[in-house]
Amino acid sequence: MIKITNLEKVYRTEEVETIALNKLSLEVKQGEFVAVMGPSGCGKSTLLNILGLLDDADTGSFVFNGIEVVNFNERKRADLRKHNIGFVFQSFNLIDELTVFENVELPLIYTGVKAAERKKKVDEVLNKVQIMHRRNHYPQQLSGGQQQRVAVARAVVNEPKLILADEPTGNLDSSNGNEVMQMLTELNEQGTTIVMVTHSEHDARYSHRIIRMLDGQTVLQNIMV
Amino acid sequence: MIRNYIVTAFRNLVRHRAFAFINISGLAVGIASCIILFLVVKYEMSYDRFIPGNEHIYHVVTRIARPENTHDHAGAPVPALDALRTDFPQITTGALQDHSGGQVTVLGKDPNKPSEKKYIEGQGLMFADPQFFSVFPFEWISGSPALLNEPNVVALTEDMAIKYFGNWKEAIGQYILLDNVLTLKVTGILKNVPVNTSFPLSVVPSLITSKNNPELYGYENDWGNLSSSFQIFMRLPENIDAATVDKQLEAFSRKHYSNSSIPTKTNRLQPLTDIHYNAAVDHFGDHTVNKGTLWTLSLVGVFIILMACINFVNMSTAQAINRSKEIGIRKVLGGRRRNLFGQIMGETAVIVFISIILGLALAALCLPYVKYVATISEDLSIFNGQVMLFSLLLGLIVTLLAGFYPALVVSGFKPLLALKNKFSSASVGGVSLRRVLVVTQFTISQALIIGTIVAITQMNAIKSADIGFNKDAVLVLNATNDSLIQSRQKAFKASLLSNPDIKMVSFSSDVPASDNNWSNNFAFDHKDDETFSLFLKFADHDYFKTYGIGFLAGHGYPDSDTINGIVVNETLLKKLGITDASSVIGKDLRIGGRPWKPILGVVKDFRTGSMRDNMVPLAIAPWKEVYASTGIKMSGNNIKTSTTFVQGKWNEFFPEYANTSAFMDERIADFYCQEDQLALLYKIFAGIAIFISCLGLYGLVSFMAIQRTREVGIRKTLGASVTQIVILFSKEFTLLVIIAFVLAAPLAWLFMNKWLQNFSYKIEVGAGIFGIAILVSMAIAWMTVGYKSVQAALANPVKSLRNE
Repeated sequence: MIKITNLEKVYRTEEVETIALNKLSLEVKQGEFVAVMGPSGCGKSTLLNILGLLDDADTGSFVFNGIEVVNFNERKRADLRKHNIGFVFQSFNLIDELTVFENVELPLIYTGVKAAERKKKVDEVLNKVQIMHRRNHYPQQLSGGQQQRVAVARAVVNEPKLILADEPTGNLDSSNGNEVMQMLTELNEQGTTIVMVTHSEHDARYSHRIIRMLDGQTVLQNIMV
Repeated sequence: MIRNYIVTAFRNLVRHRAFAFINISGLAVGIASCIILFLVVKYEMSYDRFIPGNEHIYHVVTRIARPENTHDHAGAPVPALDALRTDFPQITTGALQDHSGGQVTVLGKDPNKPSEKKYIEGQGLMFADPQFFSVFPFEWISGSPALLNEPNVVALTEDMAIKYFGNWKEAIGQYILLDNVLTLKVTGILKNVPVNTSFPLSVVPSLITSKNNPELYGYENDWGNLSSSFQIFMRLPENIDAATVDKQLEAFSRKHYSNSSIPTKTNRLQPLTDIHYNAAVDHFGDHTVNKGTLWTLSLVGVFIILMACINFVNMSTAQAINRSKEIGIRKVLGGRRRNLFGQIMGETAVIVFISIILGLALAALCLPYVKYVATISEDLSIFNGQVMLFSLLLGLIVTLLAGFYPALVVSGFKPLLALKNKFSSASVGGVSLRRVLVVTQFTISQALIIGTIVAITQMNAIKSADIGFNKDAVLVLNATNDSLIQSRQKAFKASLLSNPDIKMVSFSSDVPASDNNWSNNFAFDHKDDETFSLFLKFADHDYFKTYGIGFLAGHGYPDSDTINGIVVNETLLKKLGITDASSVIGKDLRIGGRPWKPILGVVKDFRTGSMRDNMVPLAIAPWKEVYASTGIKMSGNNIKTSTTFVQGKWNEFFPEYANTSAFMDERIADFYCQEDQLALLYKIFAGIAIFISCLGLYGLVSFMAIQRTREVGIRKTLGASVTQIVILFSKEFTLLVIIAFVLAAPLAWLFMNKWLQNFSYKIEVGAGIFGIAILVSMAIAWMTVGYKSVQAALANPVKSLRNE
């Protein structure tokens, strides 16, 4: 599903040049659950952003579902993103002005789904993450675990092929964290590919494969059994 | 999707109440101002446009060319009416003779029964011929223009008929008495003439009535005589254009005027649609408005709405920083730039819509007060199709102006940066853009502040200026003038003077300062006629004492009913090149074609008109037949009882006559009605401009406070005091206000100097005025910035740093 070859990304300021990704190559197969680990500044977030088509690489190749996307413009990237990729963030990133229902509905609006079908789909996914009873609440009225469940619901409502999770349990206590990891595992079992960045060895154990990064390169891959 | 935008827009409004309040109140005030200005300008532009075929109607003016100047006189000689009809048979030509100020006594069904019901008709009393109504198709409810072929008949407007007889249907066949002399029969009723006309007809006797009484109404069949009360109008057929007729009028003028002498006279056409806007040519309407003023007002409207839009742009881009997370999420979830652009435009439209509703309400509330600032009709309303259409259009323009830039900026956010709240000020238009916007706003408001101070100072200076005569505690009665009044004047005067509170009484053709300008050609010292005209006032010998007019040389004339000697003013001597006032005493002067009479005295110059007008060469002489004004100088004690006493005596001596009375100082204050309105207008719009620019400034400082939260946090951690932080913020704005001042000062100086050219008596626009302006703006700016910067300075540094 994902094949990146010799990917390079350099951040430049006037005096300093920071190499975020250094000729990185990587492959993720359909249905895999991959964890990316490494110390701060090793380039894992940059990698995730490029995978999510939120950022672009300087050189190298990124083939997504058999399509080379390195040279896509913003509009094409947005299109590809909204149909194929769901995001889960450490800080949830829910819109404060919208209710739980409306937050989850948003991706469907942008993909042009009709109102009646939207309602059906949102209700379905809210039931699945067991947050239906709070559908008319605003994010500030929910606990962190509840907010992350809403975020997961929002990430999957469009039935994306790929979910990118950036430290999804980073702001949660362990029981809420486990719950979220459980949800991701279930999604994976239903066929969704997941790439997750994490600092937690515990969370990484939920994955099939751990990619360890240092200074913009992969240094080690652990296959979980 | 639209629903989602609107929902988000409303929740955003509620969430960011302060921002919403600033945005909406600024826009609402701007929109209300625009709507009111639109109404005023539209009303002024509507004058005479309701008359069917107005583009084919022309006023025949008489161009008088002298070596020193050329001007268009509103009148035409009486014989020109028949001559024009003979020489231009294909054109419809009608005439109107103004007799406003005449007295109407309502007689009723019996023309011989005396009546107490008498009115001085200050406006709209005009003789008209039937053809006038072919040129101006005003509607008749009863009767027809042909009735005006008869002498001693009168048509009334519906309102007048009701005022005189209670019911217009009963007015037909009843009688009125004009100036206590002519009995007129009511034969026709006119539909009320709209207020937005230069022809406010109300009482319309037939023109032939005036023709049959030439000595009463000055209907002089003489090509040499011009009066602005006798005016001729033409309606050109579709196939004849004005330029052709103007050419033919040149030949017509050569044929009829004895143009061998100076000045030469030529008749010309003035378009009907020019009458209301041309101050140089007299008309019968209540006021003239300069098209330049209308443009200025429109421009002010544009400025104000522009300032409000600038605020909006300022505020919403500043606010975008707070919303970057939302924008980022929307983009990550697949929102395209197009979607986000639409969202921001939609939100703008919601805010503009709310502002329009509030603006309309505000305009409706303010409309009753607009009549103090501008001459508009009482029954003008906000709620009509045109205003609604205008508001809609305004809303559309404002939405585009205010929404486009923020939408462009916000929708262009890079999703990754937006999510992480990593915004440099440059990505939302930057502080520099905001600085330019705030400087623009402050330039406009400071220019208006300077304008206001100049206008107020000038008006105060005029009101306290030495006008050369004493206007205090002089009651002036105006009435018609006929032999009956004249025969009782002496006794009336003696009886008034029996009251110890009444010091002096004088009869005259005119008070010292008025908008009358009776002038004539004249000759001095047995030479030929001079090339300039001499202005005339006729008054009895007590005139000088009553109005406190001082002499430079010689003295007044002895009591007389006819011209026995003449008093002239300083300006006449200057124009004649004479420096020694006493040298003219005893020399002779000839007014028009009358006999030579000796100059007995020279008075110090006094204002014969408003401070706008230049001093004119003037002669004063006694001539009882034209005395229509009574000036009564009171002691200043018991003014009220003295006024009642005077009216009582008037009714005792002249029971058949009505009068209009006013104190001289009130009459003079009336001269400056337009300037007072203008000064008030300046105050209001300066106020609005200041209000809106303060909102803008507040927006900027709020934006900067957010931008610099981290900086303030670090500075405070390192030991900066609150005062130091406040100074940090204020420094910047002080500089902006100074830059704006540097731009505004020369602009305002140019504009106001031009305005001051309207006055012959004017103040100097000195440094003091500019000093006050900059101090006022600075104080306002500091007050606006102060609150927000203190708030930023007091914020807990730990909190602001943790947010990073």
